[in-house]
Amino acid sequence: MKEGLQAAWPIALGYFPVAVAFGALGAQAGLGYLWIQLTSLLVFAGASQFALVGLLAQGVPPLLAATLGLLLNLRHAFYGPALRPYLKGGPLEAFLLTDEVFALALRALPGLPPGERRGYFLGLGLGAYLSWNLGTFLGALGGQGLLAWPGVGEALAFALPALFLLLALPHLKNPAALLAGGAALALHLLGQTAWGLFLAGVIGFLWPGKGGRP
Amino acid sequence: MTLALLLLALGTFLLRFLPWRGERRVPAGQAGPALVVALFLVSAFSPPPSPEWLRAGLALLGTYLGLRLTGNLGVAVFLGAGLYGLLGALGF
Repeated sequence: MKEGLQAAWPIALGYFPVAVAFGALGAQAGLGYLWIQLTSLLVFAGASQFALVGLLAQGVPPLLAATLGLLLNLRHAFYGPALRPYLKGGPLEAFLLTDEVFALALRALPGLPPGERRGYFLGLGLGAYLSWNLGTFLGALGGQGLLAWPGVGEALAFALPALFLLLALPHLKNPAALLAGGAALALHLLGQTAWGLFLAGVIGFLWPGKGGRP
Repeated sequence: MTLALLLLALGTFLLRFLPWRGERRVPAGQAGPALVVALFLVSAFSPPPSPEWLRAGLALLGTYLGLRLTGNLGVAVFLGAGLYGLLGALGF
């Protein structure tokens, strides 16, 4: 678990400012501190949390807002099957399975002895989870001033694309990955990011071959 | 509102848990690599195309060079993020 926690710091670095922004957004929308924190504690899925709070602030009925948030998370259904060759997914592992944790785990798990994989994964997920919730807490309490220095907030947030680049490098000669990535980017540029990522998952899932091996 | 939160939490958990837990060993094909590349492209380039993409591209190049020079994922990410912030502070 210790190695996983240590490996989580690029994710934690990127999550923190985004989580601060989420906490601040919730506070500005007039939602209670406890409710904002519960969202990060129980959902742990950034885009859908922003969607939920944004939609509620606009007066969208709560159940519709939750349903739209769930649609944003459809891509998560593909992560477990891609990791299954390396790790059996229990409830705790599944709860911690965000985009970034998935991508980093996909890179690291194949090179670890089977007996060490679960601990590593849980450490990775826990590091990400702690950062996300600490950022939410500080943002909700008005801590967005932490990020007021010029360039600091956006620099920290850029840790996530930088991390994804490094995790994507081994796959940039994989035709399935390139096709899926191109399709996702095209839909993203049309404002349909969630559907683009879902389509990428479908393309990859249907493409024959040994899945998930970096 | 709390019911909506609980629905989103439970639904997200089940989306992550059930396909992973599933007893049927459905092969995942190339889903892993496909999603990692898609996540990279979507996170790095915000619509619409703009000069901001050049800043992101330069910072990503710095990230890549950081990995080549140090071999350390975390240090490379830190260098890339720092370069991105620096370019922004310089009005790039």
